[in-house]
Amino acid sequence: MTSAQRAGTLAVAAGPFRALLGATGADDLLAWLALELGHAGAIDEWVDYGKGRTKAFAPETILHVVSGNTPHAALQSIVGGLLLGSRNLVKLPRGGIAEIGDFVTRLPEELRAKVQTAEELPPGWLAEAEAVVVYGSDETVARFRGLASPSQIFIGYGHKASLGVIWDDPHFVSCDGAARDASLFDQQGCLSPQVFYVRDTPSGFAREYAEHLASAMDRFNRTHPRGPLTTEEKAAIANLRAAYRFRAAGDLRVALWEGGANLDWTVVYEEDAWFPASPLNRVIFVKPLPEGLPSSIGPASEYIGAVGLFPCTEELADRFAALRPSRFCAIGRMQDPHWTWHNGGVPRLASLVKWVDFES
Amino acid sequence: MQEEAANPEAQVLSWIRGDRRAEFGDAALQLHACHFRHNTPYRLFCEQQGVGESVKSWRQIPCVPQEAFKHADLRSFPAGQTAKTFRTSGTTGEGFGQHHFRTLEIYETAVREGWRLAGMPRGPFLVIAPHPDEAPHSSLSHMLGVLAPRESFIAPQGVIDLARLSSLGEPVCLLGTALGFLHLFESMDRQKISLRLPSGSCAMETGGYKGSGRTISRADLYALFGNKLGIDPADICNEYGMTELSSQFYARGPRGLHRGPFWARAVIADPVTLEEVGEGETGIVLIYDAANVGSVVGIRTRDLAIKRGDAFELLGRDPAALPRGCSRSADEWFGA
Repeated sequence: MTSAQRAGTLAVAAGPFRALLGATGADDLLAWLALELGHAGAIDEWVDYGKGRTKAFAPETILHVVSGNTPHAALQSIVGGLLLGSRNLVKLPRGGIAEIGDFVTRLPEELRAKVQTAEELPPGWLAEAEAVVVYGSDETVARFRGLASPSQIFIGYGHKASLGVIWDDPHFVSCDGAARDASLFDQQGCLSPQVFYVRDTPSGFAREYAEHLASAMDRFNRTHPRGPLTTEEKAAIANLRAAYRFRAAGDLRVALWEGGANLDWTVVYEEDAWFPASPLNRVIFVKPLPEGLPSSIGPASEYIGAVGLFPCTEELADRFAALRPSRFCAIGRMQDPHWTWHNGGVPRLASLVKWVDFES
Repeated sequence: MQEEAANPEAQVLSWIRGDRRAEFGDAALQLHACHFRHNTPYRLFCEQQGVGESVKSWRQIPCVPQEAFKHADLRSFPAGQTAKTFRTSGTTGEGFGQHHFRTLEIYETAVREGWRLAGMPRGPFLVIAPHPDEAPHSSLSHMLGVLAPRESFIAPQGVIDLARLSSLGEPVCLLGTALGFLHLFESMDRQKISLRLPSGSCAMETGGYKGSGRTISRADLYALFGNKLGIDPADICNEYGMTELSSQFYARGPRGLHRGPFWARAVIADPVTLEEVGEGETGIVLIYDAANVGSVVGIRTRDLAIKRGDAFELLGRDPAALPRGCSRSADEWFGA
């Protein structure tokens, strides 16, 4: 199969997952290849490169270690591997990922044969892989990095957290988008914002924004209810609410909005800039935007995945570039990265291939 | 309206020492009334909850979240009368909790009486934890200092005196943190030291692994005690306590259940409704500690446990540290 044929087939199989994957037409996939490899057919044929020619060689076999809380990341990883023509060994979390099984059954036989899944890592998979891609906690990434050999390509996607910056929104038009960003996937993904920093102009605006965001969270929840919670997750949210309830009783710089007895959503307004501990699952903090955002938010500044902006301008992105996210985007689109997104700051396809040059 | 005790400290002290004329409920209600009047953050919290100075049952006393000790001065007496302040382990940015005491007499009596009532060993002790002089703000060090004399502390500046352990002629009771014991076992491994403590030796371990990036089940830890020191896992106890409390709960053996003294109650509750869960069900641990005379009676902990009769099976000390895939909770950065 050529890259174009694989793109066409993958586009059909990925069609039903558009909500998770975004635009997945054959053209989108080929454009992704062309952008990262310089030519959509760079895997199939020699292409011009400087004074000579070059060809990209995809790994024979890729081991994907994926986490269950972000099925879209797992799907994207497999789609990328298949697009390159590699064989894909997928280590799933315990309990599997329903979307992966569904996607694989939709593949034609030739591509289906290139995907194997397992919930326990079979002996030999790691050694067999030419490239290893790991999504998970820092500990998981470090463990696999330690196990991989120096000759293997290793790409690890560890802990990340995201935030939003509301720079100028006097009419609160970004609130619905912010609620969507903070609610989709129940904040389990690295693109999920945990804090919105709001420019407090005029004074008191950030608190007012929190109140509007709470209404938006409630509206979103009515059409997109939160997923089930474990007892531990319930306890974590309930404990956080109790702690902020206590603080709000005696401190006007703190406020709390609670959605429903089922812990549907929680908005906390707090004046200090520290990026706080969040139990996730639709618990979102709103804080006045401090001077010098990176240095004010604490150790979290080293782990920022995406920054949502309102308005979304390059000028604002430059202003917050010191956060070193791998993505600036519009509030409301934080969960919809382009296929071409440099996740972790690296090109996802280009990082997997090896180039062979031909000089006549 | 509850009568405020004329001298709540003296009354509680007498009660803990064995004057059984008082009942837990009466004592807790009197303390709540006292705290309501003299502790402004607590009163504001009660009023927010719709609770006044007078409540009918100790279960109606609001439980202050553990984290509140980081943000509020939960002191039910004038600040100038503070005799001692214990601090929780601090983390950059989020601060540390503080528990103030007007007198340590009740705290120390509760430690000794609680230890005795739980049938804990009388000693001699060896302590693998900082002495109170090294950690003046640590309630755990203070508690261990109440139980064991200074010469029992065998880890000055964090260096464990293995020679003391190697030359014991009589059974001993080791006291320390779970992390401290892990360090001991690792030191023994590094130095290739193998020990069998005298028959009849035992141990008490406490604390979790927060901030250390390590975790080990109680059963595995106790198995290490067996392998490394020859202590039978059945002779090891776990202490459940915290800076915000004045009383301790003890469990014996790897599957032991925690129980407290008569002046404290643990309720395993639904985290949302705070209703007590049914037998065998999981909930958060609420502690009502009538030895907390100078602060607040009810504490809402972050810990999870299973209700087992009048006791509880502790599930872990930090349920907020949940696996979060690639979404990083700040807990993991802060080690909080």
